[in-house]
Amino acid sequence: MNQRATPRMAMIWFLAIVWVLIAGTPFVFMMMTGFKAQFELLTNPVWALPQQPTFENFLTVVSGKFFIFLFNSVLVVAVSVMLIVIISAMASYVFARIRFRFSNVLFALIVAGLVIPIHVTLIPVYLLTISIGLYDQIWALVGPYVAFNIPISIFILTEFMRQIPGELEDAARIDGCGPMRVFFQIFLPLSRPGLAAIAIFSAVALWNEFVFAFVLTSSTNNRTLPLAIWEYQGEYSANIPLIMSVLTLSALPLIVAYLFGQEGFVKGMMAGALKG
Amino acid sequence: MTTSTSSTPPKRRRRWRTEYALTAFLFLLPTFIFLAIFVVWPIAASIQLSFTEWNGISPTQKPVGGANWVRLMSDGVFWRAFRNNLVIVVLSILIQLPIGMALAVLLDRGGRKFNLFKTVYFFPLLMSTVAVGILFKYIYDPQFGMLTSGLRALGLGFLVQDWLGDTDVVLFSVIAVICWQFIPFYMIIFYAALTGIPAELREAAFIDGATESNYFWRIVLPLLRGTISTAAVLSLIGSLKYFDLIWVMTEGGPTNASELMATYMYKKAFQSYEMGYGSTVATALFVIVMVIALSVLFVTRRFSEENE
Amino acid sequence: MKTRKTSTFVSMMALLAALTMILSACVPAGVAPQPAASDGAAAPAATDGEKVITMWHIQTTEPGPQLIQQAVDRFMADNPGVKVEVEALQNDPFKTKIKVAMGAGNPPCIFPSWGGGPLYEYVKSGQVTDLTPYMDADNYKDRFVPASLSNVTFDDKIWGVPVENSAVAVLFYNKPLFEQYGLNAPATWDDLMVAIETFKANDIAPFALANKTKWTGSMYFMYLVDRLGGPEVFKKAGTRTGGTFEDPVFIEAGKRLQELVNAGAFSEGFNGLDYDTGQSRQLMYAGKAAMELMGSWNISTAKGENPEFYEKNLDFVAFPALPDGKGDPNNVVGTVGDNFYSISPTCAYPEEAFKLLQYIIDDESVKLRGEAGKIPPVKGFTTDDPMLQKVIGMIEAAPSVQLWYDQYLPPELGEVHKDTSQALFGLSMTPEEAAKAQEDAAKKFYGEQ
Repeated sequence: MNQRATPRMAMIWFLAIVWVLIAGTPFVFMMMTGFKAQFELLTNPVWALPQQPTFENFLTVVSGKFFIFLFNSVLVVAVSVMLIVIISAMASYVFARIRFRFSNVLFALIVAGLVIPIHVTLIPVYLLTISIGLYDQIWALVGPYVAFNIPISIFILTEFMRQIPGELEDAARIDGCGPMRVFFQIFLPLSRPGLAAIAIFSAVALWNEFVFAFVLTSSTNNRTLPLAIWEYQGEYSANIPLIMSVLTLSALPLIVAYLFGQEGFVKGMMAGALKG
Repeated sequence: MTTSTSSTPPKRRRRWRTEYALTAFLFLLPTFIFLAIFVVWPIAASIQLSFTEWNGISPTQKPVGGANWVRLMSDGVFWRAFRNNLVIVVLSILIQLPIGMALAVLLDRGGRKFNLFKTVYFFPLLMSTVAVGILFKYIYDPQFGMLTSGLRALGLGFLVQDWLGDTDVVLFSVIAVICWQFIPFYMIIFYAALTGIPAELREAAFIDGATESNYFWRIVLPLLRGTISTAAVLSLIGSLKYFDLIWVMTEGGPTNASELMATYMYKKAFQSYEMGYGSTVATALFVIVMVIALSVLFVTRRFSEENE
Repeated sequence: MKTRKTSTFVSMMALLAALTMILSACVPAGVAPQPAASDGAAAPAATDGEKVITMWHIQTTEPGPQLIQQAVDRFMADNPGVKVEVEALQNDPFKTKIKVAMGAGNPPCIFPSWGGGPLYEYVKSGQVTDLTPYMDADNYKDRFVPASLSNVTFDDKIWGVPVENSAVAVLFYNKPLFEQYGLNAPATWDDLMVAIETFKANDIAPFALANKTKWTGSMYFMYLVDRLGGPEVFKKAGTRTGGTFEDPVFIEAGKRLQELVNAGAFSEGFNGLDYDTGQSRQLMYAGKAAMELMGSWNISTAKGENPEFYEKNLDFVAFPALPDGKGDPNNVVGTVGDNFYSISPTCAYPEEAFKLLQYIIDDESVKLRGEAGKIPPVKGFTTDDPMLQKVIGMIEAAPSVQLWYDQYLPPELGEVHKDTSQALFGLSMTPEEAAKAQEDAAKKFYGEQ
C-alpha cells in the first residue's frame, strides 16, 4: 500500500463500509425476520429486531422435508455443474483454438442459447420429459439446467482459453501430441481457475432455479429447495417469517460453498478470463 | 490461433487436420445436442405457434397466418415493454458496470484486509430472487418502509415517492433493485481482471510520475477494454430478456408501467390463455435480442478475428 | 500461418454435427399436444390390476391437506384395488402447471378449479368430463346450494363438484377505532362517507388496499356496479346477451371509484402494495387503516395471524347500499363452493374418481370442514362460529351471488378487467376509456368486430 495516501486509505475504508451496509443489510433482515413470529412481523415495525427471537420457524422448516429438498438440490446442482464444466470446456477449446469457416455461425447458435426466454421452452421441454419417462424425477432437471447454462459458460470460457499462451501448445504439438492430448494435458489444467469461475456462476444460478423444478417434478420427495417456500404459502396468505427462515437456510450452503470456493474463483478470473 | 505451424512437414499436417476435424466434431457434439433439444426445438415450436391461435390446452390449434404479427405491430403494450427493456439496458450498463468497477478497485486497493468485504459484497447475488423481491417490497412500503422513513428522518421527505405505485417511478424503483442484485457479478469480473494486471506496470507508472487517477484512466481502463465489453454484452442480453425481479415485485404493473417483453409474454401465454399470441411475443423477443446481440458482438471483437 | 483447407474440413464436420442434432431433434416432435398420452400421470400403468387415480389439489395450509387425506383414506379402505395418488400444489404455480399438463395432454385424473371462465375454457378445449349423469343420479346434485352449481354449469351441463368453501367479499372494519372517533359501523353510504372524512382528518387511511394484487381493488368496482345497477348489467355484458361493458353503470361505477381515490379513501401507495405479503393487513393490524373490503376468508386469516385483533377489533358489515342505486343491497359478490373438482377425460376410471369426490364432500367431510372454519357448499350447513354464521346468513339471504369478475370472465377478458380496474385506481384511465378497453376486448374475443 501507498504510505503517503493515508487520507485516501481512510476514504477507501469509509466507502467499503458503506457498501457493506448496502449489500449486507437485506441479508441480515432476511435472517432476522426468520426469528420472528408471523404475528410480530405484521404488528410491530418490520425493521425492528425480534423481541422474542424464536427458533420455531427454523425448527418447523428443519423438521419438515427440508433435508430431502436439500439432498435433491445438492445432487441435481452437482451433477449439472459437472456436466456444464466438462461440456463447455470442450466446446470453448474448439472455439478458442480451432479455426474453421462456420465457427461464427455456430457461435451465433451459442448466442441464441444465451438469449432464449426460458418460459418459451416450458411446454416443449415438458412434453419431451414425459415422453422419455423422466417426468417427476430430479434427473429431468439436468437437461434444461445444462442446456441453459452452457452458453454463458462457453461465452466466458472461450475468452479465457484465448488468453492461454500459444507457445505451450506448439511445443506439445512438436512432441507429437494430438489435439485431444493438448486439450486434456495442457488446456484443462491451465484453465482450472476459469472452470472454477463458471462452476460457481452456474451453481449460484441453479441453486435458486424455480420454473423448471416446478414444472418437471411433482411429488414432494422429488422437489428441490427453491420449491420449499411454496410449502408455506397458502391460497390467500403467506407466512413470511417462515418463508424467510427457509430462504436463510437455503442460502447457507451456498455461502459456505462460496467462502471456500472464492479463492479459486477469483484466481480463475485473475488468470485472464474475460480480458480482451 | 493456428491449427498447425509452417515448420511441420505436410504429411503430419494432414493427419492433424483430420484429427482436429474429429476433435472439433466430438467436442462440439454434446453442446449442440443440448442446444438442439432445449433451444432450437423450442424456438422452432414457438415460431410455428406464432402463426396460430391456441389457448394452450385445447388439442387443436387454429392457423391464423400473420394475424398475430399484425396485432403485435400495433400492440402498444408490447412496444411500451420494449421501451422499458431499453431503459433497463441503458441504466444497467451505466449503473452496474461503473459501480462494479469502483468496488473492484476498492477491493483491489484494500488487498487482503478487505477479504471479508469481498464476501459480503457477493451476498446479493447469492440471495434468491423471491427473497430479494419480498424484502424490497417492505423497504419500499409507503407506511412502514425503511426507505421512506429513512428519507424523512434525514429531512429529505420531499424526495419520498410512491415507489412501486406511481407509474412514473416504479420502473426506476425496480431497476435500482436489479442493479443492487447484479453489481456483485460485474464486481467480481472486474476485480479478477484488475488482480491480473502485473504489479510492475503499476510501479513503472508511478516511477514515471503518474498519479493514482491517471494510472487508472490511462493504463488500467484501456487494459480492461475487453473485459468491459464482454461485461457490457452480458448485461445487454440479460437486460433485454429480464424477467425475475419485475415479476416478483410488480408483475409488470401498475398498468404496464414496468412491463417487460418477457413478463408480457408470460402473461399472454400462461395467464390469458393466449399461447399463440404469447409465442408471437416470445419469437419477437428472441429475434430482437438476437439481432441486437449479434450486431453488438459483430462490432466488438468477438467476430472480428484479426485484432489479437 | 493459416491453413484454409483444414478450416473448411473442420467446419464441414462441425456443421454436420450441428445439423444432425437439430434435425433429429426436430422431426419426431410436433408441438401439438398428443391427446391422451398413454404413459403420463393421468393413467399410470396399472400394476397388479390396481386402478390408479391421480388427484391434484391446492389446499396447502393445514388442515386443508388433511381434510382431503381423511376422505381419500376412507375411500381406499372401502374400495380395495383402487389407489389414489394425491398431490398438493400451491396456488399460483398450480395455474401454470395445470396449463402445461393439459397442453401436453397429460392432466391428472381429478383437478381443482375456481369454476367460471377458466373452467369453461377447459370445457371448450375438451379437457373436462361432463359430470351431469353422475350429479343427476339419485338427485345427488340436490345436496348442494344452487348458487354453487351455477359456477360450474355451462351449456346446461355440470362440469365440476363444489367442495371446499364459500367466500364473499365483506367490509371489515376496526371496531374500537370506530368507537374512538364516535362513528357508526359503516352500514350505510352516509356512515361510510362520514367515516372516510373523519379518518382522513385524523391521518388514518379509511381503506387498507394492496392493489398490486389487482383482484383486491376489483372487489370495490364489482360492488359499485352491483349496487348501482344490479347483477344483470354485468351478466348481459359478460354473456353478450344484449349488454355492453360501455353501459353507463360501468362508467358510473368507475367515476365513483375515482371519486373515492381522489378523496384519499385508500391507503398511501396502494397500487404498489402486495396482498400476498400482508401489506394491507399490516395497516389494519397497526390501526393505520380502518376498513378493508376483503373475502370472508379474512376471518380465519386474522385468527391465525393476529388472534388479539380477531378477538377485540375485527367485525364486518355488508357493502352498503348506494343512495341512488338500483341493485338489491342484499346481493353479494363472492364464490360459493370453490374449489370445485373436475375429472379429466383422460382419466381411465371416471366412475371411481367421482365416487372419491363424493367421499371428499360426504357428511363426515362436511363436518370436519365446518370445524376447520370453512363453509362447505351443502344445504342446511350451520356452525357455532358467530362470524361464519353471519356469512352463511348473508349468502342465504342474497338474491344473487356475483362470482368474481376475473373468474367469471374468460381468462383473456378477466386479465383485461383486472388491468383496467387497477388503471382506474391509478387514475391512469378514465372510466370511459376503461369501459371501452373492456368492451373492445370482449368484442374481439367473441369475434363481433
